[in-house]
Amino acid sequence: MAEAQGSPGPWAAPDQPCVFKLVLLGSGSVGKSSLALRYVKDDFRSILPTVGCAFFTKVVELGVSSLKLEIWDTAGQEKYHSVCHLYFRGANAALLVYDITRKDSFHKAQQWLQDLEKEFPPGEVVVMLVGNKTDLSEEREVTFEEGQEFAESKRLLFMETSAKLNHQVSEVFSAVARELLRRRKREGPAQARDAAVALSGGPMRQVRCCTH
Amino acid sequence: MVVVTGRELDSRRPDGAMSSSDAEDDFLEPATPTATQAGHALPLMPQERRTEFPAFRGPASLGASAGCVQRGPVLCHWTPPGTAGEHAAAEGREGAPGVSGTHALLQRPFGADCGDRPAACSTAEGPICEAVVCYRRKMSLKSERRGIHVDQSELLCKKGCGYYGNPAWQGFCSKCWREEYHKARQKQIQEDWELAERILHLERGFVFFFSTQSTYIVGDYIYIYICLGAPCFSHLYKLQREEEEAFASSQSNQGAQSLTFSKFEEKKTNEKTRKVTTVKKFFSASSRVGSKKAEIQEAKAPSPSINRQTSIETDRVSKEFIEFLKTFHKTGQEIYKQTKLFLEGMHYKRDLSIEEQSECTQDFYQNVAERMQTRGKAVPYHRPGLGLNLTALVPMASAVTTVLEGTKPGGISVPPEKVEKIMDQIEKYIMTRLYKYVFCPETTDDEKKDLAIQKRIRALHWVTPQMLCVPVNEEIPEVSDMVVKAITDIIEMDSKRVPRDKLACITKCSKHIFNAIKITKNEPASADDFLPTLIYIVLKGNPPRLQSNIQYITRFCNPSRLMTGEDGYYFTNLCCAVAFIEKLDAQSLNLSQEDFDRYMSGQTSPRKQESESWSPDACLGVKQMYKNLDLLSQLNERQERIMSEAKKLEKDLIDWTDGIAKEVQDIVEKYPLEIKPPNQPLAAIDSENVENDKLPPPLQPQVYAG
Repeated sequence: MAEAQGSPGPWAAPDQPCVFKLVLLGSGSVGKSSLALRYVKDDFRSILPTVGCAFFTKVVELGVSSLKLEIWDTAGQEKYHSVCHLYFRGANAALLVYDITRKDSFHKAQQWLQDLEKEFPPGEVVVMLVGNKTDLSEEREVTFEEGQEFAESKRLLFMETSAKLNHQVSEVFSAVARELLRRRKREGPAQARDAAVALSGGPMRQVRCCTH
Repeated sequence: MVVVTGRELDSRRPDGAMSSSDAEDDFLEPATPTATQAGHALPLMPQERRTEFPAFRGPASLGASAGCVQRGPVLCHWTPPGTAGEHAAAEGREGAPGVSGTHALLQRPFGADCGDRPAACSTAEGPICEAVVCYRRKMSLKSERRGIHVDQSELLCKKGCGYYGNPAWQGFCSKCWREEYHKARQKQIQEDWELAERILHLERGFVFFFSTQSTYIVGDYIYIYICLGAPCFSHLYKLQREEEEAFASSQSNQGAQSLTFSKFEEKKTNEKTRKVTTVKKFFSASSRVGSKKAEIQEAKAPSPSINRQTSIETDRVSKEFIEFLKTFHKTGQEIYKQTKLFLEGMHYKRDLSIEEQSECTQDFYQNVAERMQTRGKAVPYHRPGLGLNLTALVPMASAVTTVLEGTKPGGISVPPEKVEKIMDQIEKYIMTRLYKYVFCPETTDDEKKDLAIQKRIRALHWVTPQMLCVPVNEEIPEVSDMVVKAITDIIEMDSKRVPRDKLACITKCSKHIFNAIKITKNEPASADDFLPTLIYIVLKGNPPRLQSNIQYITRFCNPSRLMTGEDGYYFTNLCCAVAFIEKLDAQSLNLSQEDFDRYMSGQTSPRKQESESWSPDACLGVKQMYKNLDLLSQLNERQERIMSEAKKLEKDLIDWTDGIAKEVQDIVEKYPLEIKPPNQPLAAIDSENVENDKLPPPLQPQVYAG
């Protein structure tokens, strides 16, 4: 069942953009939903969900190619942590969001990464670490370097953002989208199942935050 | 039963005075009991028969149904076991005269009162003639009732076997009808096979068939291939056009036929399982026996049989599916054929585990989808994990392939935007048909899980929205309306058969939840709000067969729909909610362990404290209940207080006794009892005496004789 190689649904037409599932993970009130909402809202082309904002789709244009991102928001409260692995199924990418003013949320993000590693063979999902709330940098508890170091050690993409100020938000998603496309091209549909190909790809590119 | 008939007659007659015996005596053989004797007819039965069914005995005056029931077991007399579901067959036979007896019984229409047969049938007389007599009586009764003269010959079986026929069986007697029915069914089966065969041969995709379906019908088809083989092939091609029409029309024919047959079957099942009801039904039907109208009415009447409803819905879905595929012309036919083949295949795989069946279904989805995408390109159809070794077939298959060079099976050409729609239709079609076999199958413990989660949710009835941090305020009428709608939707899920419809219910439920949150909070809900609310809705609704439904969707829905897409998202949330409910503990409700345990054991309810703040429109009974609960808990408290006081008193008493004892002890210790030495002077006298043994002995009295 867990055939999550970024391949489109079995019957997605060839001329339609591929669909990728992206899961937002992180402890409560780190700004997962705000991040997604900001990203989807600020784009005029996307259709806003009328009622809820827990599930979004968005078409990302990357030069010649485009892809459709399906963003799954998850409940971040600690008590739901034990059941959240169910959201992982079939995911192509995951955003590990933490609050830079709360050290515990950063630790929590690391815990989420472990959960992901349990579910997927390495390299199967694109994982990005996101430090949110840079607008509150005077209360910062997690330094940029700390985040970056951790991301590099685990070969994750890394960025710091502010959903409130709409800083770097769309960059996060387009970075993920680029990485998804890059891997997809490299693997090719035929080798999709072969996780070893993904492993041999070397370290991922780091996306640096330019202001810090 | 005789009584029954009589009574019925009475009610129909304007004067209502005609006694039942009057009604029947004309037609009765002398030996048979009259209606008035009906109550006494039983003694003529073997004694042990009677004692076996003490519950059935009762005064004949008990009424129609009592009379019917009373006669139920008597039928065993004539009914050898295993006669195709004849009622009471399972009860064994008693002096059964064999097939002819059954025949005789069957000869009477179902609508006729079974008890019409005199209970006191003597074996010498033979059941056949008895039955005929009964039937004659019945028919004559009827004609009298309606005032129509029916000629004897019209009542006889159309086949001329000498038995009476029944309009319900198209004028045949029961035996002939059964023969006819059997023949028709055989023919139907034969035709179906022929149709399948022809389709299989005709279609270019028959190599496809070979590699996929041969696993289970190899025996038959190999033979066909060898016999018909290549020479017939070109000829068979001509039939293709004809087939296109046939597949639609045969479908509807089949539907119509199965309707009558299923009715027949159903009646028999009913008889087996719910005897009393059936007998009642007979009774009510007896007034309109033979009329075609009654037949139709009955067919239209809602039936308790699930099979029947299933067949109606299946027919409807089949028709819709065919209608839908017609818009795709030849492609549609190809799809239809594949689907049919798959369904046939599944029929033979019912013994496999549910996981294997699920895998087959998923494979089928994927293959069809792939074939539709890769227009024109051949797609090898492989189904892993099937037990049969096909190596022996390979040469034969390849031989056939060479014959067919140039007409290779390929993709199904469909406009890309239609693919999804077609897949939905295919899913709907196959899952409607497979539902009853693969939903909550006996081979799994789904049912046990259903009951477990249901019990769990019931035990958690006390959970309040506040405990789950549900951002929904049910005091707002709109919000509570949304909550009710959401609960309705999630409960409705169980009634759907197609996984996609079930998913649609979950999605609808989720939308209502989002609305409720939005109205309460005045901003769009995020996942942090949504999941707790969904959990709350599930707890409040306790949807039936929750686990079975989840399992069924997981196994038989399109995998891509579950893992991606909005439906998939909400389904995943539902899975999370269920998983959470299973694991739920004190911590996740922000309660102390003691409180949680107390609530779980039902000792107290957290709602108790809120009873004052209840809205005025709350149900009176519920208010009263909570008041009583309050009172009870107060009493309980007082009792506990009394108990503790009593214990205290007991303790005090014990302490007091102990205290007194201790004090006494203390005093005793303080003032020990000293035994003083005895008074010296007294002792001195004795002691002195001891030393004075030198003294002369005391004077002895002396007696002097003088």
